[in-house]
Amino acid sequence: MKNLAFVSATTLSTGLLIAAGLPWWSTTLFGALAGWLWAQSNRQGFWGGFVGGLLLWLIFALVRDVDNEGLLSTRIGALFMGLSRWGVLGITGLLGGFLGAMGALTGYRARVWWRVK
Amino acid sequence: MRGVLFALSLVLTLGLVRLLHTPIPAGQQRIPALGSFFNPFSGFWRNAEPARGPALPAEVRLPGLRGKVEVVYDDRLVPHIFAEHLEDALRVQGYVTAQHRLWQMDLAARRAAGRLSEVLGERTLELDRIARRRGLPFAAENALRGWQRSAEGMRLLEAYCAGVNTWIAQLKPADYPLEFKLLGYAPEPWSPLKTALIVENMAETLCGGENDLLSTAALQALGRETFDYLYPEWNPRQQPIVPDTGQWRGIRGTLGTTVTAPGNTQRLSARPVAEEYFRGSNNWAVAGAKTESGAAILCNDPHLTLSLPSIWFQLQLRTPEMNCYGVSLQGVPGIIIGFNEHVAWGVTNAGHDVADWYRVQWADAARTRYVVDGQEEPVQWRVETIGVRGRAPLLDSVRYTRWGPMTYDHQPDHPLHHCAFRWVTHDEPDPNEMRSFLFLNLAKTYDDYREAIAQYEAPAQNFVFATRSGEVAITVQGKLPARRYEQGRFVLDGSQQANAWPGFIPNEHLPAQRSPTRAFVFSANQHSTPPSYPYYYTSRDFDDYRGRHLYDRLTALQHANADSMASIQLDNFSQRAADALPVLLRLLDRSALNDTGKQWAAELEKWDYRYEATSTVAPLYEVWFDTCYLRTWDEMLDSSGEKQVLLLPERWRLIELLDKAPDHPFFDRRDTPQRETARDIVTDAFRRMQAFFEKNPEKRTAWSKFRPVSIRHLAQIEAFSREVEVGGHNTALNAQTRTHGPSWRVIVELGPTAVRARGVYPGGQSGNPGSRFYDDLLDTWAQGRYYDLFFLKTPEELPSAHLFTQQMLLPQ
Repeated sequence: MKNLAFVSATTLSTGLLIAAGLPWWSTTLFGALAGWLWAQSNRQGFWGGFVGGLLLWLIFALVRDVDNEGLLSTRIGALFMGLSRWGVLGITGLLGGFLGAMGALTGYRARVWWRVK
Repeated sequence: MRGVLFALSLVLTLGLVRLLHTPIPAGQQRIPALGSFFNPFSGFWRNAEPARGPALPAEVRLPGLRGKVEVVYDDRLVPHIFAEHLEDALRVQGYVTAQHRLWQMDLAARRAAGRLSEVLGERTLELDRIARRRGLPFAAENALRGWQRSAEGMRLLEAYCAGVNTWIAQLKPADYPLEFKLLGYAPEPWSPLKTALIVENMAETLCGGENDLLSTAALQALGRETFDYLYPEWNPRQQPIVPDTGQWRGIRGTLGTTVTAPGNTQRLSARPVAEEYFRGSNNWAVAGAKTESGAAILCNDPHLTLSLPSIWFQLQLRTPEMNCYGVSLQGVPGIIIGFNEHVAWGVTNAGHDVADWYRVQWADAARTRYVVDGQEEPVQWRVETIGVRGRAPLLDSVRYTRWGPMTYDHQPDHPLHHCAFRWVTHDEPDPNEMRSFLFLNLAKTYDDYREAIAQYEAPAQNFVFATRSGEVAITVQGKLPARRYEQGRFVLDGSQQANAWPGFIPNEHLPAQRSPTRAFVFSANQHSTPPSYPYYYTSRDFDDYRGRHLYDRLTALQHANADSMASIQLDNFSQRAADALPVLLRLLDRSALNDTGKQWAAELEKWDYRYEATSTVAPLYEVWFDTCYLRTWDEMLDSSGEKQVLLLPERWRLIELLDKAPDHPFFDRRDTPQRETARDIVTDAFRRMQAFFEKNPEKRTAWSKFRPVSIRHLAQIEAFSREVEVGGHNTALNAQTRTHGPSWRVIVELGPTAVRARGVYPGGQSGNPGSRFYDDLLDTWAQGRYYDLFFLKTPEELPSAHLFTQQMLLPQ
C-alpha cells in the first residue's frame, strides 16, 4: 500500500512540477518513472499511476475551473452529450488516470525486465 | 516472458496515446482528439479564463510601434487606445482585435476565399466552390490591386495587419482560441488580401443578391401586362430616403432599352419560400429643432445575422488628430459606425441591385469561345485549387468572360448554366476606397464627410451624418450602375455589348440630403428616391414598412432625447400589420367560423399591431397572413408549395389587391374546381391557421416563445449558441427575426459641451466561449436596455470603478 502511494505521489509531484510546458502525453512518462522507482506489482503500478495521473489532471483542471466559475466546463459539457460540469471534470480525470496507469505499469514492467536481464 | 509483458504494456500505452491523439470521425462532424482536447495543460481548459476576465500583461513590446500606446480596458472589455500616431493606433487595433477575435477573423476570410473545406472537410466543398465561382477571391485580389495604388493607405493597412501578426506569432498551440483546438487547425498569418476578403464577405452579404432569374421566369410565364400588374416597383405609400425637392431637374438619366435574354430560362429556379427574405437596418439623425437639448442626435441599428462571437467589436481610437469611438469589423482597420468629438455617422444598406446575369452565346460546343456583337472572343480560365481536409484538393477551372465568371457552368441543370455574373464588387476599386471609413473617423465637418465617402464603392450604403454644430445629412453612396430602364431587372442578353452597364451614377447625382427643413434625415432600406429620380434602379427587396413608420414617428417627434430615440429603436409596431389586418378582417366570413374562431377573430380585432414579446395575438395574425400570402400565390410555387419557381409578388402588393381587387383571377386556386375570391382565400387561411394552433397547442403562446430568437455560434455549435425571447418583427422598427436583428443599437447626442452615447449589441467583446465577456452584453440587449459608452479624452478619465485593466504597449 505504501508503494502504491509512492507511485501516485511521484507521478503527481513530477507532473505538478513540469507538466505545464510538456505535451499532454508526458503524463505516461511521469507514471513510468514512478512505476520504475516504486511499484512492486502490476496492481501497484497500475492503480498507483492511475491515482497520480487522475489527481494531476484533475488538480490542473479544477484550478482553472474554479477560477472560471465553471463557465467553460458547462459549455463543453453541453457539447459532449450534455455532460454536467462535474462530468467534464470526471472525463478529464479519467483520461489522466489511464495515462498515468499505463505509464506506471510500463515503468514497472520495464524494471522487472531490466533486472532480469 | 518478462520481456513480452514489458513489450505488451509498452504497446498498450503507445496505443492509448495514439487513440487519444486521433480525432474521431462522427458523420459529417468530427470529435476532437480526446487527449489533446481534454488535457488541462494545452487543451480546452487553457481557454477557461478567470471569471473576472482575461489576464493581460501590463506591458507589451510591439515591434514596429513609433511611440508608446496606452490601452485602457473598461469593465465591458472595450479597449480605449491612446496613441501618438494614427499608424500606431491601427497597429494596436489589429493587435487587440486578434487577441479577442482571432478565430472569427480567420473564419470570415476563409468563407470569402472559399477555403473552409481546408479545415472543415468535404461538407463545405460546394460552399467553397460557389464562393470561388462567384468570384469572391477574384474580387478581393482586384480590391487589393486598387488599394495598392495608394501608398499611404497601404502603409496604414499594413500596420494593422502587422499588429494582428504580432499577436499570432507569440501564440503557442496551448494559447490558440478554443475553436482552433476543437476543429484541429492552427491560425495563419494575416495579410492585406485577407482584409480585402473580409470586405468581399460583407459585400456578398449586403449586395450579392438579385431577383433576375425569378423575375425573368415570371415575365415569360405571365406576359408583360400581368407582370406589370403584379410586380410594380414603386409602392405609392412608401416614404423614400431622399424626397424630390427639384434637385434632379435637368439631369438626364440613361436613355434606351436593354435586351432581355432570349427565352432560355427553364422554370427550374427554385428558391425556398419558408423564410421571408430579410436584411434591414435603420438610421436617422434629428436636428436641434426637434430635440430637448437643441443638439443633434444620431441613431443607428444595423440588422444582420446575429451571431456569437458578435459581428461587431467596440473600441475607441485616440490620436493627436482624432478621438473616435464605435464599432469595427474584425480584420478591417478603423471604425465603421461611430462618432468623434465633432461628428457622428451610421450606415444602412442601400440595397440597389449591383449584380446582374448575362446569358452568353457560345461559339463552340466546348464553350471556350463566345460571341459578342458577332465577334468571337476566347474565355479566360482561372483555376481554383480548393483544399479539402482528408482528401486530394479539387481543381476547378472557371471560365471568365468580359461580363464576369460563369458561376454555374459546372452544373448543367442550373438555370444560370449559360450565364455570366456581372458584379460591381469584381471591379478594381478607387485606391482610397479602403480609407473611406478612416477618413470618416477623422471628419470634423460636413465637407469632410462628403469627401470621406466620395470614393466608397461597395456594398452601397446610406450614410447618415450629424455634427456638433447641429447639421444632419444623409447620402446614398456607392458605385451604382447608371442603368437604362429595367436594365438588370431580368437576365440580360450577353451577345450584345450594348447591354453592358452604360457607366455609373456620378457622385453629384447620387441621392443626398443636407439639413432639410423637416429637421431629420432617415433610412430603413427603402427606396432611395421617388420615381422622379432620373436614373433607373432596382433591388431584390426594398423595405416598405419600417421607413414609413419611422417617417411618421420622426415627423411627430418633439423635444427628443436619448430615451425617446431608444423607444423608436425598440418600437414593435408593424405598419404592415396595420395595413393588412383591417382588410383581412373585413374579408373574413365569420359565419364560416366556429365559436373558437369567432373568439380569435375578436381578439385579432383588438390587436394594436405590436409584436410585443408578450402578445398572444401576434402569432395568430402572423400565421394567418403568411397562409393568405402563400395560398394566393399558388401559381408561383412548385407542386410541393415550398419553393417559388416564379417571383413571389411583394407583400404590400397582396394587401393592395386584397383591398382593391378581391375578385382578381389570381385569388382563384389552381387545385380546386370552383372559383375562389379573396374572401374565400382569407376565410380558408383563417381556418387553416386555427387548425394549425389546435393541432399544435404549445404554439398558442406569447410571440417571444412562438418565434424564439437564436444567436448562433459561427461554427453552428449549439453549446456555444444562445436563444433569447424578445419581441419585434421584420416589419417593425425593432426588426427582429429568428436569426437576424439589431446587431448594434447606438444613440449619439452631439451636445455643445460633450458628445454622449449609449449602445449595446447582442454578444460580448470576447470571442472566447470560456470568457465571461463572451455574451455579457446579451441580456441587456434582450431587455431593451443600453450602456452609457465611455468616450474618454484621457486614460485617467475612466472612472476607476469601471476600469478592467490597463496595458502599455512599447516599441521594441
